[in-house]
Amino acid sequence: MKKVKLSKLYILAASCVLLSSLLIYKLSYSQNTEQPKTQQNEQPVTDCFESREGYTSVTRVENVAPKHGFPNVKCSQTTGGVLWWGDAYDGTIPMGEMPICGDYTCGSYEKGEDAVVRPREPQLKYFNLNPEQHCAFCHNGKMVPFPKNKKPRLLAAHQDIVADSLQLMHGRAAFWCLDCHSATNRNRLIDHWGNEISFNQPQKLCGKCHGEVYIDWRMGIHGKRTGMWVKGGKKRWWVCTECHNPHTVQTNRFNPLKPEPAPALPKGMKNADHEQSEHGLHKEPSLSSAPANPSTGH
Amino acid sequence: MFPKIKFAIDFFICCWKGSAKYYAWLAFLGALSLIFFFGLYQQLTHGLIFTNMNDQVSWGLYESNFIFLVGVAAAAVTVVFPAYVYHHKQLKSIVIIGEMVAITAVNMVMLFILMHMGRVDRLWHLIPVIGIFNFPNSMLTWDVIVLNGYLGLNVVCAFYYLYKKYTGQHPNDKFYSPLVYISIVWALSIHTVTAFLINTMPPRPMWFHSMMPIKFISTAFASGPSLIIIAFLVIKRTTALKVEDEAIELLSQIVTWCLGLALFLAMSEIVTELYPSTEHSFSLKYLLFGKHGLSGLVPWIWTSFTLNIIAFLLLLNPKFRKNHKRLLIICIMVFIGVWIDKGMGLVVPGFIPTPIGEFAEYTPSLFEVMNSIGIWAFGLMMFTMLAKGGIGVLTGEIKYSCEPGQGSRRNKEPLVCHPFCSGHPGSTGKEK
Amino acid sequence: MSEEKKEIANNIPVPASLKQGEEENKNRRDFLKDMGAAALVGAAALLTNSDDIEAKSTWAEWFQKNYRLMSDEEKKEAIARLEQRYSEEYGKNVTVDNVPAMKGVLFGYALNIQKCIGCRRCVHACVKENNQSRNNPEIQWIRVIRMEKGNFSLEDTDKGYPAGSGYKSGDNTSYGVQVGGNAYKDSGVVLEGQHYYQPENVPEKDAFYFPIQCMQCEKPPCVKVCPVRATYRDPDGIVVIDYNWCIGCRMCQSACPYWARRFNWGDPNLPKEEMNPNTHYLGNRPRVRGVMEKCTFCLQRTRKGRYTSCVEVCPVGARKFGNLLDPESEVRKILDKKKVFRLKADLNTYPKFFYFID
Repeated sequence: MKKVKLSKLYILAASCVLLSSLLIYKLSYSQNTEQPKTQQNEQPVTDCFESREGYTSVTRVENVAPKHGFPNVKCSQTTGGVLWWGDAYDGTIPMGEMPICGDYTCGSYEKGEDAVVRPREPQLKYFNLNPEQHCAFCHNGKMVPFPKNKKPRLLAAHQDIVADSLQLMHGRAAFWCLDCHSATNRNRLIDHWGNEISFNQPQKLCGKCHGEVYIDWRMGIHGKRTGMWVKGGKKRWWVCTECHNPHTVQTNRFNPLKPEPAPALPKGMKNADHEQSEHGLHKEPSLSSAPANPSTGH
Repeated sequence: MFPKIKFAIDFFICCWKGSAKYYAWLAFLGALSLIFFFGLYQQLTHGLIFTNMNDQVSWGLYESNFIFLVGVAAAAVTVVFPAYVYHHKQLKSIVIIGEMVAITAVNMVMLFILMHMGRVDRLWHLIPVIGIFNFPNSMLTWDVIVLNGYLGLNVVCAFYYLYKKYTGQHPNDKFYSPLVYISIVWALSIHTVTAFLINTMPPRPMWFHSMMPIKFISTAFASGPSLIIIAFLVIKRTTALKVEDEAIELLSQIVTWCLGLALFLAMSEIVTELYPSTEHSFSLKYLLFGKHGLSGLVPWIWTSFTLNIIAFLLLLNPKFRKNHKRLLIICIMVFIGVWIDKGMGLVVPGFIPTPIGEFAEYTPSLFEVMNSIGIWAFGLMMFTMLAKGGIGVLTGEIKYSCEPGQGSRRNKEPLVCHPFCSGHPGSTGKEK
Repeated sequence: MSEEKKEIANNIPVPASLKQGEEENKNRRDFLKDMGAAALVGAAALLTNSDDIEAKSTWAEWFQKNYRLMSDEEKKEAIARLEQRYSEEYGKNVTVDNVPAMKGVLFGYALNIQKCIGCRRCVHACVKENNQSRNNPEIQWIRVIRMEKGNFSLEDTDKGYPAGSGYKSGDNTSYGVQVGGNAYKDSGVVLEGQHYYQPENVPEKDAFYFPIQCMQCEKPPCVKVCPVRATYRDPDGIVVIDYNWCIGCRMCQSACPYWARRFNWGDPNLPKEEMNPNTHYLGNRPRVRGVMEKCTFCLQRTRKGRYTSCVEVCPVGARKFGNLLDPESEVRKILDKKKVFRLKADLNTYPKFFYFID
C-alpha cells in the first residue's frame, strides 16, 4: 500500500518537472520566434552618385533590362551611393581616340576593345548653366575678359570650386588654373602644347604629368572599370575626374564618404565595445617621428 | 533461431519491468527526452535559428557534448581492456555495463550530431553509392566510419555475450575474442579520429596541436570511468548485481592516473601557448583570463580546473578512493570538470577569435540547453533500460526457458530452462 | 513528368499564374505520394507540410543527385524546377543558369590595400547581387576590417612589463624588461581589427582597411573537409557549393582560414523586390535554410564575361579582377608590376585573391 503511494508521488513529481520544463521551453521558443522582421519597404533611392558625391550623379530608371526588369542602378538607402549596376554602360559614349601607345597594353586596345566613358560634361555645374555655349557664354573675352598671362590672381567667381586661388595646391602650388584650363576657350582643357582637350577626356591632360599613374590606368591597375572583364569585351573606363577632384586632390586624393552600415552584431553580442578596448587609448604621439604614413587613399 | 527471438523478447520485457521507482524514473527521463523530440521537430522545420550559434561561433553546445560523449563511449575500453587482456575477474563479470555505456554514449553522440546538422533530411548524401562519401579526404567521414563501427562492435559484443549467458552457454572464443580485441583498438580510434576532426584545422590554433588525440584519450579515460563508477555504485545499491570492490578500485585508479595525465597535458599546453604568447594563443587567453573585457568562459574553466585538481589530489589518497560515498562525489566532480573542459571549454574558444580576428562570445540559448538536457535524459533512459536488461541476464533473472535439448544442437551444453524476468522490487536499474 | 514540367516552366507568364501553379502543385503531390511511398522518411514528410510553394519541388529536389554527377537532362530538369519555384516565390522572371567554367580561364582577384577606404560598398553590392538573406540571419560574404595605425610614444619608452622593476630603489620604471611600453600598441597585432566601425566618414586619418572574402584557394581546406563533396573547385578556380547537396555540418566553416563561409541558420529572408532574378545554379540562386554559402566571384556574371559586382561598385577602383591565364589581364599585370601578398600564405592554401600596394 505504501509502495503505491510512493510511486504516485514519483509520477507526480515527474509530471511536474515535465510540465515546468515544457513551459520554460515554450517561453524560450516564443522569445526566439519574435524576431523583428524589418522588411525593406522604403522607396528606392533615385538620386544617386557613383564615386564623387555631387560630381558623378545618376538617376535611377526602372526596367532598363526588359527580361528581368532591372533598374539601371540600385542605390544605398543610407548613403545614396550606387551599389549595383543593372546597366554597366548607362549613359556612356565611345572613349574616342587614345593618345600614343606608350605602354605594352596598347595592343589589346588596338585590337578593337570596346572602350566607353561616361561623359563628364553633363556633370559639370557651370558648364551646363548655358546649354548651348556652356562656359564660353560668360568667358567670351567680353563679358569676362581673357586673362593676359598665367600669373596667379584672386578669382572673382567660382570660389565654391577653388576657395583661394592663390593657394591652389595642385602640384604643390606650382600650377595655376590656366595650366589646365584654356584661356581662350573655357569649354576645353588644355595641355602643355596648347592642344585643347575635352572635359570628357581628362586623362589626356592628367597623364601628361602623372605618367606612372597613367600607365597603370591604361593597364587597368589604377582606376576603375566596369562592364566586361573579358579580353576584347566592352568596358567602361572611369576617367580621372570621376574619382579625383583636381582642385583639392592634394588634401584629399579621394573625398571622404559616408560608409555603408556595419554588419549586424553576432547573435548574443550587445555591442562591439570590446573592439575598442585596446584601441583609441593612444595619447598623441610625443615623438614627431611617427612612422611614415603608408599613405592610404586619402 | 527460436532462442534468439525469445532472447530479444525476454530482454525487451525485462527492460520494461520494474518497481514503481523504476517507472517513475523512466517517466521522468521520458518526459525530459520529449523535449528533445520537440526540439528536433523545431530544427527540422525552422533550421538552427533558435540556437545561439552564429557564423563566428558555428559549433556550440551540441558539438561540445558530441566531443565529450565520444570520449565517454571510448572509455568503455577501460572496463573491457582489463577484463579481457588482464583477465580481471571482477571486471569481467560486469563488463557488459561498460559496453552498455558505450552503446548509449554512441547513440547520444549521433543524436547530438543530428541536432548539430543543418540538413538532417539530407543525411543520406553520406551513404556511399547512393550519396557521396568523401573518404578518405574528409576527417568527418572517418568519424562516421569509426563511430558506426564502434556502435556495431559493441552491440554485437554485448548482446552476443548476453545471449550466451542467457542460454547458459560459453561464448565462442574464436568469434568473441577477436571482436573484443578489435573493439579495444577501435575504442581508441574513435576518440583519436574525433581529435583529428578538430585538430587538423590550422585556422583554429587552439586546436591545432598534435597533443590533441592523447589529451582527448586521457580526459576520456578520466571522465568515462568516472561515469561507469557512478553507474556501478548505483547499480550496486539498487540491483541484485554483484559489483566487487576490486572492480571499482581498478577503475578509480584508472581515473586517477588518466586525470593526472590530463592535468599534466593541460599544463603543458598552457605553458607552451602562453610563454611565447603569440597571436595563436588568443583563444587560450580568452578561455583562461578573458580578452577585451569578454570573459564568458573564465568562471567555467576555472571551476573545471578546480574540480579536476581537487579530485585528483583526493584520488591519490586511497582513503578517499576506497570509500564509496566519497568516491561517488569525486567521480561526479571529475565528470563535471572534464565535461566543462572538453565540451564548452574546448569547442567554443576554438572559434574565438575567428580566423580573421573577431571576438564574439557564445552562450547557448535556452533552446540548445533544453535540447541537450533532453538528449542526456534520453541517453540516461536508454542506459537504464539496457542496463536493466543486461543485469537481468547477468543475475540470471532471465534465462532461456525452453523445451529441453533444443539449444544443444550446436553446443554440447544443455540449455537450462527458467521462467523469465519478473519485475521484483530489488531489480531497478536506476542511474545517477 | 519532365515534359509536363518543362512545358509549364516555359508557358507560365510567371506572376500571373499562381492559380495554375497551385493546381500543378497538387497534382504533383499526389503523384509523389504514390511514387515516394517507398522512401517515406519522416523528415521529408515534415518538409512537405510547410509552405506550398516550397513543398512543390521539395520531393524531386530531395532525390536529386549532386550537381556534378547529373546528366544534362537532369540538370535541365533541376533548373526548370528551380526557375518555376523561384519565379512563383519572387513574382518575377527568374532564370537559373548552368553556364560551365570557360576554357582557358582561371579567375584571379587583386585588391589594392592602399586604396581601400573602408566604405563597405562592396559588402552591400555583393548582398544585392547575390541574394543573401537580409536579416535574421544577416549574411554578408565580404567583411571589411578597420586596422588602426599604431603609435609610438616617448613616455612609454621606459614603461613596460613587469611594472616597477627598475634597478634604482623606488624607481617605478621597468625599461620593458619583458615587454616594452610601446609594444602595447595594436600596430604590432595583426588580428585586432575592428569589424563594426562606423565613423562619420571614411577614410579616416588613423586607419586603414582590409576587406576579406573567399580567396578561391587552389588548395581549399573547405573542400577537403566536406564529407559529401557538396563543395568543390571548378576548372576556372572557383570553389562552389551545391546548395542542394550540402548537409550543413559546418566542417568547412571551421576549416576556412579566411572566415569566408556563411551558414543559413534559418530560412533566408530575401524580400521579393530585392531579389536579383539573374541567377546561376552554383552562384546566387536563393538558398534554403541549413546550407553553407560563400563568395563565388559572382560566377553568374563572370562566366559570361562581366566583372563581379564588388569590382564594379568599388568607388576607388581598389578591386581588380581577371583571367590569371591571360598575360594581358589586369590581375596578371598587377602580379607583374606591383608588390603583392596573399593572406596567410603560410597555410599553403594558394589563394587566388591577391592584396597589393602601389
